[in-house]
Amino acid sequence: MPDRHKILVVDDSIAIVNSLQAILGVSGYQVETAYNGSDALRKIHQNNYDLVICDIEMPGLSGLEFLGRVREDFDNSLDVILMTGYLEHDYFIEAIRLGASDFIRKPIDTKQLINSIRELLFRKRGHNDVSDFYCHLDKAKFSFDISAGHFSKFTISKIFSSYLRQYFKIDPMVLNELLICLDEMVYNAYIHGTLELTVPERALMQDELHQVIDARLKDPRIAKRKMHLAFEIDNEQQMIEIIVSDDGDGFDFSSWIKTVETEQILDIKEHGRGIAMLYHLSDELRFENEGKSVRIRKSLQIPVANEHR
Amino acid sequence: MQIKLDNHNKNLKLALRMKKAKGDDMNIDLSFSGKIASMKIDGILNSENAHILQSKLTEVMQSDATLLELDLFDCRNISSTGIGKILLFYKDFISKGGDIEVVRSSNSVYELFSMLKLNQLFTVNLG
Repeated sequence: MPDRHKILVVDDSIAIVNSLQAILGVSGYQVETAYNGSDALRKIHQNNYDLVICDIEMPGLSGLEFLGRVREDFDNSLDVILMTGYLEHDYFIEAIRLGASDFIRKPIDTKQLINSIRELLFRKRGHNDVSDFYCHLDKAKFSFDISAGHFSKFTISKIFSSYLRQYFKIDPMVLNELLICLDEMVYNAYIHGTLELTVPERALMQDELHQVIDARLKDPRIAKRKMHLAFEIDNEQQMIEIIVSDDGDGFDFSSWIKTVETEQILDIKEHGRGIAMLYHLSDELRFENEGKSVRIRKSLQIPVANEHR
Repeated sequence: MQIKLDNHNKNLKLALRMKKAKGDDMNIDLSFSGKIASMKIDGILNSENAHILQSKLTEVMQSDATLLELDLFDCRNISSTGIGKILLFYKDFISKGGDIEVVRSSNSVYELFSMLKLNQLFTVNLG
């Protein structure tokens, strides 16, 4: 009996979905279903699947478009087998280009499909060993420094989410909130702490904003600044801690903390929304070193009220 | 004939894809029908892609639309930068007689909008 790997089957044909659900269920897999690409996309962001089997020809978001979105959001960490009833060469090329893990023709040859699934899951086992190693560590720490000039070249949230998705089994909902927290912390450290951008500058359109940022980075005082990012996962406590620091001048955080602590619901203001969101989304929020460093702690367990979100 | 139809559909889809604004982990579809602008945002709206939203909102502002319908059902979360862009747009849009309605939103976005009291500015529907 194979492990209870979780597979998402996506097809607009109820008959095919039911048929695959029955076949894969008998083969020992845990199967969930979706009837269009948008629903499937929503589900993969709410659950951890080992593999997705998806039809290409679907109304709305097609299988190829779905695959493109999976590769954007998950890199290559989620295998997708595409199915099609047509034998067009273009489909094969586009599917390979987008990173399909395999390609199955309809009508489906059950034996071929099961073999493909087994092979993909077997290949994934090597990666899972690494993932299991990280998941069984009591604690894991990761930290790095990055210069102001290099920071804008990278999408930090993508690097962070890719790392956590690959090595730690974090619930997608929790990961989603962590990504927002990280965004708030990093954005503040870069825009306020490092570049010292003013409110009107922050409202500029992208091209103009880049010109302002480039000009700031030519200032040696700002160019030499670094940002420091660290996160620690405590598997025993099921907690994650993220720390982001900058080399700027800091800010008076105490009044803001007082505001978000005393007002359960923050009113719309020009400033302070980021702090309110950090307070709202984390379990613990702390500023240190005169506001140059911000630290949050967040439980990796799904809050009971959110389990069925 | 089947192949011709498929190719036609594929070309159409490719053309439609060109009109979409894409960023890391986020997509925006914007369409206009009379005085109504409909915007669908998928993914996470954060500081790294908020400029795409800003550019799309500018398109709405420059159009004849008097109502912006936002579909945030597949928007998994919005950072304060994204909220800032929406509020900035809202202030200018209402001054020219426009209004915003969130026609659908995910739970996390609905909670966020409630916390920031955005639901007191415009209608925010859940799910």
